[in-house]
Amino acid sequence: MPSGRHKSRSLRRVFVKTPGSRTVLHYKKRAPSKAKCSSCGAVLKGVARARPHKMQNMPKTKKRPQRPYGGVLCSKCTARMIKDKSRK
Amino acid sequence: MFDVGRLCVKTRGRDAGKKCVIVDKPDETHATVDGLVRRRNVNIKHLEPLKETIKISKGASHATVISEFKKFGIEIKETKKKESKSRPKTQKKKKTPKPQKQPEKKAEKKKQEKPKKDETRKEQSSFVSQKPEVSVKTEKKEVKKEATETKKDKKETNIKENPESTPKNG
Repeated sequence: MPSGRHKSRSLRRVFVKTPGSRTVLHYKKRAPSKAKCSSCGAVLKGVARARPHKMQNMPKTKKRPQRPYGGVLCSKCTARMIKDKSRK
Repeated sequence: MFDVGRLCVKTRGRDAGKKCVIVDKPDETHATVDGLVRRRNVNIKHLEPLKETIKISKGASHATVISEFKKFGIEIKETKKKESKSRPKTQKKKKTPKPQKQPEKKAEKKKQEKPKKDETRKEQSSFVSQKPEVSVKTEKKEVKKEATETKKDKKETNIKENPESTPKNG
């Protein structure tokens, strides 16, 4: 019988096959949700989804696009913002 | 509007938000661009035109663009390319094969033990005839230090063979 702490749905169940040809249940934590644009709410591209201990070891270029406001605003919103600034 | 010499601002790419000048127009949809931005062909949709223009001939070099920008008050810094250093390869330590000492040690030990046994027996026989009392006690102490059951048995037999010479220990 699984212990009480394993019954929560914040953990996901994974069947793993062992070298001894047994299938065994492993409980793993879920990945965080996708990053979204702060102005329009669209899903951002080029942003990794991983637990914090994995994000720490990733290089900077894999976590956000190399563009001003990369990882914060989508490409449409940044272009709109630059146009409005230059027209003033 | 998008003619040679027009000042623009780039809206897309990693150069976004920086000023540039149109240097050439190969297509209706594309333009070559230079200034604070890398010299390259760019889609016109990714440019936002400004009011100012610069007097530049078609296909002007990078040096003329820098001098014209200075008159406007914009300074362009030339960056040198970094020479990529090759990573030093870590030399792996060569594993020296360990010399096999263990069997030799055991053989040496056995060889050392054997002469000791013979010597003690010889000592007993020689000492027993001359000075029995002192010699036997010392011999027995030496025997106890080196002792195993086999040795003790053999020496007891030797002692028994010469009962007159060996005194009884009190």
